[in-house]
Amino acid sequence: MTKEGVQGATEEEQQAQSKKALKKQQKEAEKAAKKAEKQAKLTAEQTTEEDDFAKDRYGLSAMVQSQQKLDRELVRVQDLTPEKADQLIWLRARVHTSRAKGKQCFLVLRQQQFNVQALVAVGDRASKQMVKFAANITKESIVDVEASVRKVEQKIESCSQQDVELHIERIFVISQAEPRLPLQLEDAVRPDGEGEEEGRATVNQDTKLDNRVIDLRTTTSQAIFRLQSGVCQLFRDTLTHKGFVEIQTPKIISAASEGGANVFTVSYFKTSAYLAQSPQLYKQMCICADFDKVFCVGPVFRAEDSNTHRHLTEFVGLDIEMAFNYHYHEVIDSITDTMVQIFKGLRDNFQTEIQTVNKQFPSEPFKFLEPTLRLEYTEGVAMLREAGVEMGDEDDLSTPNEKLLGRLVKEKYDTDFYVLDKYPLAVRPFYTMPDPNNAKYSNSYDMFMRGEEILSGAQRIHDAQLLTERATHHQIDLEKIKSYIDSFRFGAPPHGGGGIGLERVCMLYLGLHNVRQTSMFPRDPKRLTP
Amino acid sequence: MALRELSSLEKYLGLKKPNKYSTQGDKKVPVLQNNNGPPLLGLATIACHLAKEAKRPELLGDTAESRAVVQQWLEYRVTKLDSCTKEDIKFILKDLNLYLQDKVYLAGNRFTVADTLMYYGIHPLIVDLAIQEKEQYVNVTRWFDHIQHYPGVRHHLPPVVVLKNRIYTSRHH
Repeated sequence: MTKEGVQGATEEEQQAQSKKALKKQQKEAEKAAKKAEKQAKLTAEQTTEEDDFAKDRYGLSAMVQSQQKLDRELVRVQDLTPEKADQLIWLRARVHTSRAKGKQCFLVLRQQQFNVQALVAVGDRASKQMVKFAANITKESIVDVEASVRKVEQKIESCSQQDVELHIERIFVISQAEPRLPLQLEDAVRPDGEGEEEGRATVNQDTKLDNRVIDLRTTTSQAIFRLQSGVCQLFRDTLTHKGFVEIQTPKIISAASEGGANVFTVSYFKTSAYLAQSPQLYKQMCICADFDKVFCVGPVFRAEDSNTHRHLTEFVGLDIEMAFNYHYHEVIDSITDTMVQIFKGLRDNFQTEIQTVNKQFPSEPFKFLEPTLRLEYTEGVAMLREAGVEMGDEDDLSTPNEKLLGRLVKEKYDTDFYVLDKYPLAVRPFYTMPDPNNAKYSNSYDMFMRGEEILSGAQRIHDAQLLTERATHHQIDLEKIKSYIDSFRFGAPPHGGGGIGLERVCMLYLGLHNVRQTSMFPRDPKRLTP
Repeated sequence: MALRELSSLEKYLGLKKPNKYSTQGDKKVPVLQNNNGPPLLGLATIACHLAKEAKRPELLGDTAESRAVVQQWLEYRVTKLDSCTKEDIKFILKDLNLYLQDKVYLAGNRFTVADTLMYYGIHPLIVDLAIQEKEQYVNVTRWFDHIQHYPGVRHHLPPVVVLKNRIYTSRHH
């Protein structure tokens, strides 16, 4: 009895176990059935696909390997205006977002900073399967679309092309994006603080920079770098017009040009060399070689281990050097006029870009005077003292004081751009010409935008003997700059110049807060990739 | 510190004969050994006494209400301001800025002892403010500038520069 009981118990156990197993089996069976069903559905779909009347109207396109030259005009998104209404056009764009709703699928197609709404709806042109396919295209994929342009009754607020939408007739995926994006474009362009209530994310700077390729697709980035290109072009155009010659200088150099502390050393065969901190020495040598007025656009390297909002280890320098007749203010006038031409060009030709950036990073419009305001260093110091700042006559401006002075100047003269002239000699590099009237000062100047330095320049010493004296005073190894000093021995015209940081100019013009935003692939002490 | 303050206050009140003070305890609470009576203890108490001695009772408030407000600020000075930490400074300035929004003096429209003692007490805080911060607490700096220029008040303290124009717009930086 007991035995049986035990047996019974074990049987029961077994039964229970087998019950469990049975359940498990059943579940698995169900799963398998579901799978089979799905498979069946899929095959059914595939079979129905066979009778999908629109199957030639969509799909993954074969990799473009230049097999054929299609005689097909691709219209640009920005050209999609009501004038094109009811035309059938082809277009290549990215899928910015897609949203399927029953028998319809809305897509936002993006091309650079422009986007347009498109619609695939089940009808005589598109089948159910086609709508489904469109809805499943991953974000950021590149598609070719044939569509007819239709005017809309109500403006589409979320798109740049507000007056039209596209009714898609064909859609082919040219390049498929992976389904998971490292960051969402909408999150990357959201202004600070906006959407906080809804718990929406903003993307922080480092994530943006780590995924720079995606981040550069945002409307803000597109606008910033179009404007940056504009700065370079305006710089070139203006100077060329003034009779300047563009030069190219070596970036691997044998001696540091402005103090050895912040240069990168590179190994150069059996010896070492430096990365140029500025084309300073070379543009001066060009002056001695009778080029009269030169400029150069190129990379500049600074090995400063400072992680601030405005320092990069590699940036693009816009450098100017010119011979003058009697007074270095001729140089200042030439440079400030160039800057003013750039500001005007940006104001007049890049308003769309400025507005786009403003949407994410609001700032006041950039103000400047004509002719540009020029203050002497002592005047600047006096203004600061009046505001309660304690500083010595020959102290260099600290960054906070620089910014404060910018605010004071803005308040007094209503300009975001001004020149500070006659810096103390002690805070300038060895090749700076001393002031003839006061040996403590120099013929040097800085230019400021929104209270931050963008250009540092001076009249240079064109006399070999004085230059040697000053170099010795700065304890520079004369042997290393021999060729530089020698270039002034055979007749050198008086000359001056300056160097501007392209990234800083863009940052400050747009009122941005970090120079990394205006550097496409920024380099700083902590970032070497991408 | 408190002793220099009291001697400045004496000069402001026009008391000819300077009193003798001592201090008590770690916190250096000022003590006034009076000629006739028990010693007086504490900054606020002594200040009120001096005002009465100088026959300037209006400096303690001319109505019951303003007298209460003066006492309130004297207490605030001794309890809150004198023992404030670095973190408190922001809150003190913010609250005071809000309070002074519609007032010329602490107790409404008349200058009182509360203004002098709050001025002496808040001086070290204001000295350290950046221009942008002074602009942020614009009502405090307006009141402060007014008091430091009030005839006879400043005495031992260095003047603090206050800009009359706003140089920072609300949005920028």
